[in-house]
Amino acid sequence: MTTEAETPRLTMSGIVKRFPGTVASDGAELSVRAGEVHCLLGENGAGKSTLMKILAGSYQPDAGEIRLDGEPVVLNSPQAGLAAGIAVIYQELDLIPDLSVAQNLLLGHAPAVGPVVRKKKRLELARAAVARVGGDFPVTATVRDLPIAAQQLTAIARALTADARVIVMDEPSATLGENDLLKVFEVIRSLAAEGRSIIYISHRMDEVMEIGDRATVLRDGRTVGVYDIADTDPGELVSAMIGESRELVRTTQRPRPEGEPLLEIRSVRIPGVIDIAGIDVRPGEVAGLAGLGGAGRTTLLRALFGDTRAARTVRLGGAPLRASSPAAAVRAGLALVPESRKEQGLMLGLSVARNAAVTALGRPPWLLPGRTGRVRTAPVLKDLGVRFASPDQPVGKLSGGNQQKVVLAKWITRGGVRVLLLDEPTRGLDVGAKADLYRQVRELADSGVAVLLASSELNELTANADTIWVLHEGRNVARFDPRNTSENTIAHTVITGVTP
Amino acid sequence: MTTPTAAADPTTAPSGTRPPSGARGKRGSDLFARFNLLIVFLALCVVATLLAPEFLTTRNMANLLQQSSLTGIVAIGMTLVILTSGIDLSVGSTAAFGGMTVALLIDNDMNFVLAIAISLATGAVFGAIMGGLSAYLTLPAFMTTLAGLTAIRGLTYLLTDGEPAGGDVPEAFQLLGGGFLGYVPVVGIVFVAVTVIAALVLRGTTFGEYVYAVGSNKEAARLSGLPVRAVITAVFAISGALSALAGVLLTSRLTIGQPTAFNGLELDAIAAVVLGGTNLFGGRGSVFGTFVAVLLLSVLRNLCNLLGLGSFFQMVVTGVILVVALILNMVIEKRGARA
Repeated sequence: MTTEAETPRLTMSGIVKRFPGTVASDGAELSVRAGEVHCLLGENGAGKSTLMKILAGSYQPDAGEIRLDGEPVVLNSPQAGLAAGIAVIYQELDLIPDLSVAQNLLLGHAPAVGPVVRKKKRLELARAAVARVGGDFPVTATVRDLPIAAQQLTAIARALTADARVIVMDEPSATLGENDLLKVFEVIRSLAAEGRSIIYISHRMDEVMEIGDRATVLRDGRTVGVYDIADTDPGELVSAMIGESRELVRTTQRPRPEGEPLLEIRSVRIPGVIDIAGIDVRPGEVAGLAGLGGAGRTTLLRALFGDTRAARTVRLGGAPLRASSPAAAVRAGLALVPESRKEQGLMLGLSVARNAAVTALGRPPWLLPGRTGRVRTAPVLKDLGVRFASPDQPVGKLSGGNQQKVVLAKWITRGGVRVLLLDEPTRGLDVGAKADLYRQVRELADSGVAVLLASSELNELTANADTIWVLHEGRNVARFDPRNTSENTIAHTVITGVTP
Repeated sequence: MTTPTAAADPTTAPSGTRPPSGARGKRGSDLFARFNLLIVFLALCVVATLLAPEFLTTRNMANLLQQSSLTGIVAIGMTLVILTSGIDLSVGSTAAFGGMTVALLIDNDMNFVLAIAISLATGAVFGAIMGGLSAYLTLPAFMTTLAGLTAIRGLTYLLTDGEPAGGDVPEAFQLLGGGFLGYVPVVGIVFVAVTVIAALVLRGTTFGEYVYAVGSNKEAARLSGLPVRAVITAVFAISGALSALAGVLLTSRLTIGQPTAFNGLELDAIAAVVLGGTNLFGGRGSVFGTFVAVLLLSVLRNLCNLLGLGSFFQMVVTGVILVVALILNMVIEKRGARA
């Protein structure tokens, strides 16, 4: 796809964006050709989102120039960005959930005669747009009721109705399962073939290798390199991102812990949703849960944690696990690092120390939570290497990796954790933060905690889990020892539900 | 994104209000952001003293405190509720009910201390029911307490068929609502005590910490194993009890129970809470802010009275002040968020 166009579709040069006390973009450069899929890579905090917000018109750069097809443009508002043909599809898909697909697609530019919307025409236009992205859902459907993949396609289709020349996709795979992602990739390829430019942001190297034509790597707000994907490899890109050779994730070679199982999941059943039986985890063991989106990993963890009602026969340390609510589960020694740290894991407006201490307050002393919280969390936060200005800083101001560490700190501060449930703990984290997180999980396991780790990242599971259980359509269909099973075998089982 | 540079910054501003100006301006506006309400309040007092010489007299001050205390006590309970991102519209009705029950019980020769205790307990039970419905059945608190507002007011009228109750109350009981300790009205002391206790509970106990956690993110609090539903039920119970206390104090001052009392109290209380800087969506705010806001609103009213401006005019001024305060808060917060 790398056509040598004379003028690039988009150039951003010398982009500087300062915030009080920080330089988010320090002369970043980006050049995207027409008809290419251009990957934008960088650790969290490297300046990717700042650069894209400037492109979208949400931020104004302090210096630098943006050219579209050679012409300098000023994008002083999101409307101006859209009008110039730039569409940004954010990770959390800014669709309006209670409106229909058609309403969303033509929001703000619905065909109308005076104030009256031409509904038939709108349906027609919407259908055409959905067809172009290969969607097979009705445009009259309410967005909230659609599966996440269809919502993703809707967001892309909306970019098309605005006739965007440059489409930015911010980590679409964060919310998509494997099959859905392949579908989105097809759409991306066909859009590129039409001559549109796609800027694709992702942390997953395999996706970048598959979909990208070229890649720009940012570090500390500067562009450190532009690569032809065909002539590079993940190792090179990753070292450009982190600026030093660091192992992607630590591969552990150690015997599976012996001894009696600490957590015995004899059966967890929700009719029509999940039917899991015979999973056990020993103290010190990291048991991976692999599966497609919707395979039941989250539901299983939530059911164990007492948050989702299920018929359960689960034993903890030889005695029946009583966890009718999250509070009861916590008392029994369970800890959950939930899927969405912003919505479920943290109180974003509260300080780092208060977040890290909140689970520990259920125990005496009952007085002065502020002081005890600070005293007790300080060593934990230090151990985890959380980077923050002060314990009084709102946790929402930390980077993703540091936020996730605070979620973990919450449980370590409380102490007495026997079973740690991790649900997609590395989502949205950069390479270094992932490695840090897994090192800490490993340390917890080594102290005798049984760990259940659900992840969509198979390479992370094979690198970090002692055992991998594969869930498929609500059942556990296989169990692998990652040390003597190839990743392909596991991937095959994850997708088909059958071991090859 | 902010972390590395933030870590390099040695100054640690808790609320993160750091405009990019020089050190002195920074500190000044920092202080202003934290204590803006207090500064506005003091400024208003100065203006009031200059405009109306009667303002700064012990008599007027005592009067002012006496008038604002009942609303203030209710507003403290409302602060707790709003901190958990709830709202309590029933406070006026609960207060009237509390005032009526205490009058009726004393009228039936019950010891007044016991009567007060029963009245407060009833208020707490009403609050717990409304809060519990909201917490355990996930009904919006706006609706459960709106239902409470109507139903409890109805119950209050049913007690005596709409007539005032009591009349013959012991002198000791009258002191509570109408008495003075030196120049200080007893209700004012109660208001200050309630504020101080609430502040201590919020800052110094696990329960207080849970209130903020629940208000900041209910889901995260639940998944951290916090007793979210119990906390919500408790703050509504506290709000109910404090409302009943306000009712008791009014009955004590008037010596009769008025079933029509405290109409529209919920709006005054909410206005004070919001003016005091507590976030309507929970998780941020303090009873100190509410305390100052209550005084500010009543100084404003007092000033209008001293200047001979009518109550219609006062309503307009109060509304305008509220909007200005909200805009000011928003501006300060935005500057904080940018830093």
